[in-house]
Amino acid sequence: MAAVLSPSSCASTPALEVRHLSVDIGTGHGTVHAVRDVSFSVDPGQTLCIVGESGCGKSMTSLAVMDLLPGSARRRAETLRVGGQDLATASRRTINALRGERMAMIFQEPMTALNPALTIGDQMTEVHRHHRRSSAAEARERAVHLLGRVGIASAAERLGQYPHQLSGGLRQRVMIAMALMCDPDVLIADEPTTALDVTIQAQILRLLLDLQRELGIAIVLVTHDLGVVARVAHKVAVMYAGRIVEEGSAAQVFGQPRHPYTRGLLRCIPVPGRTAPGGHLGIIRGTVPALTGELHGCSFRERCEFAQPLCETAPPHRSDAAGHAWHCHLEKDAAMGAER
Amino acid sequence: MAAVVPSSSTPPVAAEPAVPPTLSRRRQLWRRACANRPFMFGLGLLALIVLLALAVPLFYPHDPYAQDLTQRTVPPVWYARGTWEHVLGTDALGRDYLARLLHGGRVSLLISLSVVLISGSIGTTLGVLAGYFSGKVDLGITFLITSFLAMPSILIALVIVSMVGSSLTVVILVLGLLMWIRFAVVTRTATQQIRALDYVAAAQAVGASRWRIVFGEVLPNVMPQVIVVATLEAASAIMVEAALSFLGLGVQPPTPSWGLMIAEARSYMFFSFWLIAIPGISLGLLALAINLVGDGLRDLFAAGSRN
Amino acid sequence: MTRYLLGRIALALMVALAVSALAFLVLRLSGDVAIAIAGEGARDEDLQLIRNTYGLDRPLLVQYATWLWQTLRGDFGSSIYFKVPVSELVLQKLPTTIILGLSSLTFGLLLAVPLGVAAALWRNSWIDRLAMGITVVAQALPTFFVALVLIMVLAVWARWLPVSGSGSWLHFVMPTIALGYYVMPPFMRLIRSNMIEVLSADYVRTARAKGLPASRVIFRHALRNAIVPVVGLAAVQLGFLLGGSVVIESVFALDGLGYLAFRSISYKDFPVLQTIVLLLSVLYVALTTLSDIANVWLDPRLRNA
Repeated sequence: MAAVLSPSSCASTPALEVRHLSVDIGTGHGTVHAVRDVSFSVDPGQTLCIVGESGCGKSMTSLAVMDLLPGSARRRAETLRVGGQDLATASRRTINALRGERMAMIFQEPMTALNPALTIGDQMTEVHRHHRRSSAAEARERAVHLLGRVGIASAAERLGQYPHQLSGGLRQRVMIAMALMCDPDVLIADEPTTALDVTIQAQILRLLLDLQRELGIAIVLVTHDLGVVARVAHKVAVMYAGRIVEEGSAAQVFGQPRHPYTRGLLRCIPVPGRTAPGGHLGIIRGTVPALTGELHGCSFRERCEFAQPLCETAPPHRSDAAGHAWHCHLEKDAAMGAER
Repeated sequence: MAAVVPSSSTPPVAAEPAVPPTLSRRRQLWRRACANRPFMFGLGLLALIVLLALAVPLFYPHDPYAQDLTQRTVPPVWYARGTWEHVLGTDALGRDYLARLLHGGRVSLLISLSVVLISGSIGTTLGVLAGYFSGKVDLGITFLITSFLAMPSILIALVIVSMVGSSLTVVILVLGLLMWIRFAVVTRTATQQIRALDYVAAAQAVGASRWRIVFGEVLPNVMPQVIVVATLEAASAIMVEAALSFLGLGVQPPTPSWGLMIAEARSYMFFSFWLIAIPGISLGLLALAINLVGDGLRDLFAAGSRN
Repeated sequence: MTRYLLGRIALALMVALAVSALAFLVLRLSGDVAIAIAGEGARDEDLQLIRNTYGLDRPLLVQYATWLWQTLRGDFGSSIYFKVPVSELVLQKLPTTIILGLSSLTFGLLLAVPLGVAAALWRNSWIDRLAMGITVVAQALPTFFVALVLIMVLAVWARWLPVSGSGSWLHFVMPTIALGYYVMPPFMRLIRSNMIEVLSADYVRTARAKGLPASRVIFRHALRNAIVPVVGLAAVQLGFLLGGSVVIESVFALDGLGYLAFRSISYKDFPVLQTIVLLLSVLYVALTTLSDIANVWLDPRLRNA
């Protein structure tokens, strides 16, 4: 559906819209609130990066959107709209019809994400044959075309091969091609480059950008690597302890980080030319809090240098006119200054 | 559960979630054992059977060998013709069935215990030797294991028993000499794994002799798995003995064995079905109890080692 | 691959040889063969005659070598009781045992696969507990007891099936059930634990992410991987079934190798016994070799190793 969208429709129908999504996981020690009241949206042709450290709930968020949560997890959402269709309370049948067809997902570990006992060709064509009721030949043709599109040479030969016969980078390309078989509107990528070499990373990211430009898909890219974010993101959402603490365009979040956590994150990156050799890298002291049980106030307050007694109450939502939003008690200007 | 720590002038420290006090390993194991219901059920059932078999013949008046041809095939007490004098009725020779059942139970327990002791000793020894010393010793023992596995053991057992003459002792010896394989396989693998662990290297570095290591480090750690295999082989031994006795090549009459009781009752099966049902179900219950205990132990030890 | 095959076959042959030697030893050493053949209270001249005829007075090693040499040339000796060549006898009864073995294996698998898959899909639910319960009970009941119960219910009471013998396929039904249910537990447990592991694998998540129907995910993606070790186990279990059919064949008077072996034991018919043991162990070794090969073939990752 690389439709020619008029500018107005681009803005009014996001490809993916999520409002007030929460994920709770029941464990022996109580309920873990992995994702708490998360909202975001992505327009066609746009890339949203959800960034945060391990355990912040970003992977859970992506799985929740696709309804691929593990058995003990429960999701709740006010709105979960893909291409206009609301999936928040939809039946399993409806969701299944959209999965792979309107929305697709690629994962972190391409070796384990592909079935070792089936050929590449089988795994790629079955999506198309199921959703589009195509014949084996038609599906095969599309698979060959897509493999070529993602930069895999001798595509026809590859179809008969098994996953273990390909290198990591190739496997990830196969995953991308497989995800695009039915021309989805939304592609969710959960740490797609984390398991790859740095050079391959760059190639895969460029591939994603090219595909986006050509096909107009919306991409939600989950990562912990700020470098990746810098390369591909149009919009950024920073997650901490299950909540989105800051969101905005890449320029806004990188240029004028408002939330103390975002600032801390950016300080951790060494910048050639600015960070003195042998100098200290920024750190954020402390560890991520447990997400079990009731949580009050700002979850970052134990590690925040600007924490005040006020932070024990839920931080308000602040935003400016440009669409940059964050949750913090601090006034806009009070926190600026000596930090950067 | 994240504690609410008010921020103050002290540097912010992450709050630790409250951790329950750690119980000793043994308490944890016991806790988990109690939670495993099939295991507790099996344990209870086994205890009951052992108790009945051991204690009751002492004060239950009837002699399992005493024949009374005037009281042949009397049905159990819940039938119309039954009497309380013979609670489970009598067999074709007028012998009290409950007495035979209980004594047969003793035979089964005795056999399973002895066979497991013999085969366990042989198998564990061979397995540990093979796993620890590797090389030619391992090759030889593995070949022995493969050959024994390839043998149709029930057939061989039948042949030996028929040649040597069947009796309780012969059955125990034969089964003991044939059923050591699983012990050997399991202990061999376990020993290999343990040998590769760091603390064995540490013991070697300190200069501990080989035998010291085997007895001090390897055996104690191999024991849990040996016990699990022992319970499963015990159940197996009971079934094999029952089959042998059923075919007439195990325990000889008049000694009561559950398999033998079933064989003896076969011709009367159509009219007095309880004659085979009672020992058959008893066999099933005993094997069930032992299997449940074995499975439970396996789960317990597996989970314990993971911690 | 060919080197691997040759190595396995060589090992298999050595094992078969070892087993035959062991069996030979066991048979000869368990007692005086001559007395066993002639019976107690036979006269000394008769015993001497028997010893000469069967070469029992020669050293053990020579006896074994003679037997081995004859066997390799295809001469399996003559049955003492039936007075026909052993090979003829054995070949006659072999098909029955093989049919019984295969059908019990199939029956066991037909029970095990749905039970195992269901238990894994609804893990820790009542379905799982029920399936495990059935499995545990099946493991505990002795086969000959179940066989007798089946006879009572299906042959005597309901009169659907013949009590014993081996004339028609109907005669195989009860023996198949009696052996099959006992073979089911190891398969069920294996399938259950494999499926549990596989269902949480990443590629199953990918399959679900593609929106494939649940049945396809379960069977084409999950079970396809979980079932690989089952094939190996099936070969081994078949070996055990062939060896352990003695009891069931005897109960049902099913005219196969097991029943022949049983009767030969009472008749002290050594040539027959020797050959049956050799045959069964060769079959077992062949089956385990096949299962190793099948394992390699089924897992594409091992194929080019």
